[in-house]
Amino acid sequence: MERDGHKNKTRSPQLERFLEGWSIFVQNPLGKIGLTLLVCFGLMAACSFIPPLLDPMYDPMTGVDPLITRSVGPSSAHWLGTDFMGRDILSQLLAGARVAFMVGVSAAVMSILLGCAIGMFAGYMGRVVDTLLMRTADMIMVMPTLLVVLILSSLFGQLNIWTIVLIIALFRWPGVSRVIRAQTLSLKQRPFIEAAKVAGASHMRIIFMHIMPNVLPLAFLYMTFRVTSAIIIEAALAFLGFGDPGTVSWGMMLQWVWKTGHMFRAPYWLLPPGLCISLITLSFYMLGRAMDEVLDPRLRKEAEAE
Amino acid sequence: MALLEVDNLSIGYQTRNGTFQAVDGVSFSLESGRSLGFVGESGCGKTTLGLALMGLLPPNGRIRQGSIRFEGEELVGLPEDRMRTIRWRKIAMVFQAAMNALNPVHRVADQVAEAIFTHEPALSREEVNTRVEGLFQLVGVPKDRMRDYPHQYSGGMKQRAVIAMALACRPRLIIADEPTTALDVIVQDQILEETKNLQQQFGISIIFISHDISIVADVCHDIGIMYAGQIVEYGAREEVFETPVHPYTRALLASYPTLNGTISRLKPIPGETPNLISPPPGCRFCDRCPGAGKTCVTARPSWVEISPRHKALCHSCS
Amino acid sequence: MKPTTDLILRLEKVTKTYRTKGGRFGQAGSRVVALNRISLDVRRGEIFGLVGESGSGKTTAGRLVVRLEEADAGEIFVAGTRVPELKGRRLKQFRRKVQMVFQDPYQSLNPQRSIFDTVSEPLVIHRMGNGAQRREAVAQALKSVGLSPPEDFFLRYPHQLSGGQRQRVAMARAMVLGPEFVVADEPTSMLDASISAQIFNILLHMRDKLGVTLLFITHSLAAARYLCDRIAVIYRGNLMEVGEAGEVIERPRHPYTQALLDALPRFGQCGAVRRYNTLLGAERPASQGVGCAFYSRCGVAQRLLCSTQAPSLRELAPGHRVACHYAEGPEAGTATTEACFYAT
Repeated sequence: MERDGHKNKTRSPQLERFLEGWSIFVQNPLGKIGLTLLVCFGLMAACSFIPPLLDPMYDPMTGVDPLITRSVGPSSAHWLGTDFMGRDILSQLLAGARVAFMVGVSAAVMSILLGCAIGMFAGYMGRVVDTLLMRTADMIMVMPTLLVVLILSSLFGQLNIWTIVLIIALFRWPGVSRVIRAQTLSLKQRPFIEAAKVAGASHMRIIFMHIMPNVLPLAFLYMTFRVTSAIIIEAALAFLGFGDPGTVSWGMMLQWVWKTGHMFRAPYWLLPPGLCISLITLSFYMLGRAMDEVLDPRLRKEAEAE
Repeated sequence: MALLEVDNLSIGYQTRNGTFQAVDGVSFSLESGRSLGFVGESGCGKTTLGLALMGLLPPNGRIRQGSIRFEGEELVGLPEDRMRTIRWRKIAMVFQAAMNALNPVHRVADQVAEAIFTHEPALSREEVNTRVEGLFQLVGVPKDRMRDYPHQYSGGMKQRAVIAMALACRPRLIIADEPTTALDVIVQDQILEETKNLQQQFGISIIFISHDISIVADVCHDIGIMYAGQIVEYGAREEVFETPVHPYTRALLASYPTLNGTISRLKPIPGETPNLISPPPGCRFCDRCPGAGKTCVTARPSWVEISPRHKALCHSCS
Repeated sequence: MKPTTDLILRLEKVTKTYRTKGGRFGQAGSRVVALNRISLDVRRGEIFGLVGESGSGKTTAGRLVVRLEEADAGEIFVAGTRVPELKGRRLKQFRRKVQMVFQDPYQSLNPQRSIFDTVSEPLVIHRMGNGAQRREAVAQALKSVGLSPPEDFFLRYPHQLSGGQRQRVAMARAMVLGPEFVVADEPTSMLDASISAQIFNILLHMRDKLGVTLLFITHSLAAARYLCDRIAVIYRGNLMEVGEAGEVIERPRHPYTQALLDALPRFGQCGAVRRYNTLLGAERPASQGVGCAFYSRCGVAQRLLCSTQAPSLRELAPGHRVACHYAEGPEAGTATTEACFYAT
């Protein structure tokens, strides 16, 4: 009967949607620019372990050029110059890219996982559970993250970079969980969920087999925005002097510039980390915007056919 | 001269995978004061046809060829500002989801009055008000409900208000696209009666688009059966329904449960509608047609005249 | 109270009300009666039609039967078990016997799951069979709804199928556990006529070949006449008329059923067609919950009786029960001849 149909390739909807989404994505200039920038930063992070291999003096943290005792401008040995104690700025910048990715992505993944789980749970269970979880989310949402982290670090002394990541994740889930909860609420009403119920599916099965695959694309979109905010928070913390002293991040670099009084005297030192922070957040943001367009057909320009 | 003449009209939608040929080579003419019904299943192009007549195709839709003549004037390629003077004043439309056509924050009567004002600014406030009152009486909405807001109306009343709006500028032609699909049968019956009365009273021409054969059979003088973007059978309703000749028409009628007579087993139409991005070269119904021969697959069918008021697009219907 | 054995479904005075949210400030939510003391019996092996307009409560009735919602009052028995008090393991056992087909096939299949995953899910949930047996069961179910060869559909996804195919997949999912009783909630209202006929014939196949009892919920009297052995007409949560399908449609006794038949376009009909003219030209104020639900639109109703006393179902002919005070009065309406367009 269905002659024309079964010659059709049997791609999964995930793959097909990805391919369709990809073709929309690459048509979008925002997406293209964002992705290009991101690839550059990725390369930077990947290259970050090369300089220390060449010469120990290129180690971003401990390597000191024995011939230099103060900050100097770009030279053939130090393409971007050195900092106040003769460390290479380029290798610090490369290491910073790695740290930025690490902090951004891991904090984002953690907050998304948390937000997703809580959002789905609250939306699906409803009633008291929903109210409790969402009020908690509201409370955390109105707390100024930066301030709380500052207080915590002044209480417990210097914070390890992973503690910072964890704190960021703990404070950034409520926004995600609200969105996921709304999505879950609308999914919950869909007949395919009721069909699963009539088939006898348990709550856990419904949440993980039926609701989760349908909220994941949205969660992924939110992840890109969360990466942006995690990187900014970490940079701000580091700049204010509450970063992990054992890690070279761009925020740390800015703090060294500031603390050693080179703010307006060494542009070769100030500008690269500043620009990098702006550009990496911009690139994740643009990526998110472009993905938004892929996921939400209403944002697309063309109208659908009959 | 006919009020509306459509000749060899083809409409395509641009999609990522190519051009979707929603309407292909459709021709018909409509005399003043008559009603014409288009019946077909979803995706047969009937809604697209209605939108094209109103000049309201979505941005990716385009008239590929053919002409639409209304009162002798060519509508294809007409500049938008000229089209605007024809739309609503001469050709009005009642949409599929007409209940959403009312603005929730304005009173219903004001919205109808607004429609009149926009197109006939010379009228005075009193003249407009009397006309609005007349319209509501005409479509059967009680006078004391005129000043209500849309959310206070039931589905049927909203539909009536929308019909009043379509009639506001006394158009020559109304295009009604599934105007009763969302309504219950009793309300639907009342609206259809209303429509028939209005048409006789004012001599308005109606193009009625529906998936429901029984409704079209009830309202229209002439019937066009549409399949995969083409009109496959066209003629006076009595002839089309008493002696259907096209295999698709027959199949459609045989799949429709009725309320009296012996209950015979319904015969579904096997298979699926063809892909209109790359439609088959021959007859578009050939792979579902029980009597299809070799020519049906390879050659485009041409019109066969059954009687002066009845024709079919088929190789083997003569 | 034990229901008799040849009954598979029994509703006793089932009532369900919904509370709407308060519209304006300080306004308490109003109560909407979806079902008002409905009593029904469905016999094993029949197709029972529940016919009504939108908002009549017909869908609510179906959802109560499969335990997607809970009734406020009344008893529901399916195959001798009391549905409202089922919990845990016994509820899961009940789910094996009672299935549902939903209205909108574009919404009732999870877009992220393949056809095989969707149809085999009930088997997985109830831990039935091993991999090979499941494949066999799914293939069998797909074949029984006319999707063949079934293996071609296993790896496809809902968006690759047409509406009719999706609805058939949904029916295969309902059939894969071999249920005794299936609720079909307007399974064709989103589909074209030629596709609907396919679905109707599959439902008939389910009754005749697989011995499934069906509760067919519909707004179309013509579809009910084609499919059903018995039908019940429901209006605003109240049962109006119950009887053999042919009997109710050819000799309707209730003014509401008569009005419904009047309103249907005369298509496929020839010769003398009876018109009942039981619909009131202008609506009158409704009886405030105490009288007959149809009082406000009924042309037969008498104010004194109908607006103050709700009629109960009375048996007027064998198996034909009507809820109307004036059902046995002289039949309203006159026979009129309509044009004959098309004869089967």
